[in-house]
Amino acid sequence: MKALSIGLVNLRRAFRQRSNVFFVFVFPMLLILVLGVTFGGAATPRVGVVSAGSGPLGTALVRQLEGLPHLKVVAVGGPAALVTDVARGNLGAGLVIPRGYSEAIRGGRAVALRYVQRPDPSSRQLGQAIQGVVAAQAAVLGAARFAVAQHAAPGFQAGLAAARRAEALVPAVTVRPASAGTVPFAQRVGEFDEGAWTELVLFLFLTAMTGAVGQIEVRRLGLSRRMLATPTPPSAVIAGEALGRFLVAIIQAAVIITGSALLFGVGWGSPPGVAAVVIVFSLVAAGAGILVGTLFRNEQQAIGVCLLLGLGLGALGGCMVPLELFSPAMRAVAHVTPQAWANDAFARLVGDGATIAGIAPQLAVLAGYAAAVLALASWRLRRVLTA
Amino acid sequence: MAPGPVLSCEGLRRRFGGIVAVDGVGFVIQAGETYGLLGPNGAGKTTTISMIAGLLQPDAGRIVVSGEPVSTRAVAVRRLIGYVPQDLAIYPDLSARENLVFFGRLYGMPAARARERASEVLELTGLADRAGDLVKTYSGGMKRRLNIGLGLLHRPRLLILDEPTVGVDPQSRNAILESVESLAGEGIAVLYTTHYMEEAERLCDRVGIIDHGALIAEGTRDELVSMVGGRDRVRLLAPGDLGAWAAALAGREWVHEASVTGQGVDLMVTGARGHLAEILAAAAQAGVTVRSVEVTEPDLEAVFLHLTGRALRD
Ligand SMILES: Nc1ncnc2c1ncn2[C@@H]1O[C@H](COP(=O)(O)OP(=O)(O)OP(=O)(O)O)[C@@H](O)[C@H]1O
Ligand SMILES: [Mg+2]
Repeated sequence: MKALSIGLVNLRRAFRQRSNVFFVFVFPMLLILVLGVTFGGAATPRVGVVSAGSGPLGTALVRQLEGLPHLKVVAVGGPAALVTDVARGNLGAGLVIPRGYSEAIRGGRAVALRYVQRPDPSSRQLGQAIQGVVAAQAAVLGAARFAVAQHAAPGFQAGLAAARRAEALVPAVTVRPASAGTVPFAQRVGEFDEGAWTELVLFLFLTAMTGAVGQIEVRRLGLSRRMLATPTPPSAVIAGEALGRFLVAIIQAAVIITGSALLFGVGWGSPPGVAAVVIVFSLVAAGAGILVGTLFRNEQQAIGVCLLLGLGLGALGGCMVPLELFSPAMRAVAHVTPQAWANDAFARLVGDGATIAGIAPQLAVLAGYAAAVLALASWRLRRVLTA
Repeated sequence: MAPGPVLSCEGLRRRFGGIVAVDGVGFVIQAGETYGLLGPNGAGKTTTISMIAGLLQPDAGRIVVSGEPVSTRAVAVRRLIGYVPQDLAIYPDLSARENLVFFGRLYGMPAARARERASEVLELTGLADRAGDLVKTYSGGMKRRLNIGLGLLHRPRLLILDEPTVGVDPQSRNAILESVESLAGEGIAVLYTTHYMEEAERLCDRVGIIDHGALIAEGTRDELVSMVGGRDRVRLLAPGDLGAWAAALAGREWVHEASVTGQGVDLMVTGARGHLAEILAAAAQAGVTVRSVEVTEPDLEAVFLHLTGRALRD
């Protein structure tokens, strides 16, 4: 009960400062927006297309591909370059529209388009989207040929024009990948999503770290002593401090998650899973903030270390550069940080559509961190308070 | 109320590394009594008080408040003690009312009761009209008053004030002293530390003089003053022939010394106030017209000087 009073006072103080409100809520969301807009585009898969000499129908097909959402069409000089780029991962997939494509179709000959893909789910998914476009064109071309064959049109051009007019009147039928069972097709990670969770993890920890500074202030002002001069046991003071940091983190997470979801359409994945990650990671962050707060006597010493730890562990834990881009050795090192585990958990929740059960290993590791850090922090704080 | 003293402590000892901060301090405070701990910087006042408030474990000694032993592990007994630290311990970014309600909750009051007491204390400390403003916008004196108010919140039996007037303007200082006087009137036992001799003289029923961690003297103001001989200096200015008058005064048993100076007569006497009429009557008999009388009584400052050979404040 007294711990709750102490926790609520911490909370009230944390959000009373306007600048805090900005850095805790507004700034992370702005970053999510900026990073989403800047790098989110690069994260959309690029499809290379070789279409030199393919004629007007080839060009029309390219236009159609360009009209697809969630992919970017890049012109490539020749099939060899295309294969190399796809193999190197510079392109998500590639399509070769052969020379003489238009003439061949007009002439009624079958033409094979070459689709070059990487052996991964997202490449397969791109293939489906491209197949859809090709099929749509093939349907129109088929209709044109049918019109000519039925003498409904004087020639292929006229038949094609008629088929396109007819197409516009036919209700569009689109095929979406559907999922059944527990392992769905990899859901596409939306433009803002990846930036969003790494920013959340980064800022939850940073805020808790700067909370250490507030805790030092409370000690320096003699407020901890004064609390202990009341009939309040040290355990309640410690629990109150931890609760305050934890509540700040939880509220910060709730605001950033709902705010980014509503404002920018960020997807966060299964709500119970997200709540679980946020709770255990907030406990880790709260404990870390208190622990660091016990190591320094004045705020000036602490603030530098807090920022360094917050940003440093964030960077190492994949909050600035995604963990997938780390070398395997670095990725192993990164998993010393709780941030890496939290990022992994979000990657599973958002990227793979995992449920809370699917992130059980990450949750277990984070819970372990939370228990260890909170135990250490309480022990240190008790020593500092009752010295 | 339980019979016996509100506070009794004995044999308190505490060292920090090589420094013996408190060395065998003990005293007793009754309900309604104000006890002053008077001593220079570094004498061990704050260390003594921290032990009595249960914030610092003594190396040796015993502290009992209203029959309950005090230690850093005894949590419940703290409901009986109000502690006003030497340095302001207030949340600067909360209002006075929020500070009060918060500490009221820590003293175990239900929310409604804490709010009610907060309002009462705000009235008492004269902060009611600024109750909702953040403390960091207060003047130094207002913060000091709130600092004291926080110690009174839960109506303690023993109120401990550690140099509550340091750095306070004369007006606020007077308000603080008045409120301490009224508290003692309500039956609260007050432990008041200061190195201002005037405050100790004005407030305290009994004073303990502490130096280098030890209590070197204790008693009422008059008892302490009598230790230095209790002699008052009376300086009388008068024209004319003063020999007969001085000789007549020198014969009184309460006059220790009578000397004729250029402008008048200087006396060293016991209990000057009580004998002023007699001195003036003797002057009239001797045909001397007294132009002015100046009485200098010895004070605690003089006591401290007498006991230690040093001034209280240098
Ligand atoms: N935590 C501590 N660690 C080391 N030494 C201490 C500590 N607290 C007090 N001391 C030392 O103990 C002695 C008594 O200090 P204390 O604060 O009790 O004096 P004080 O009478 O309250 O002085 P002041 O009038 O300046 O407040 C001093 O020499 C001080 O340096
Ligand atoms: Mg002191």
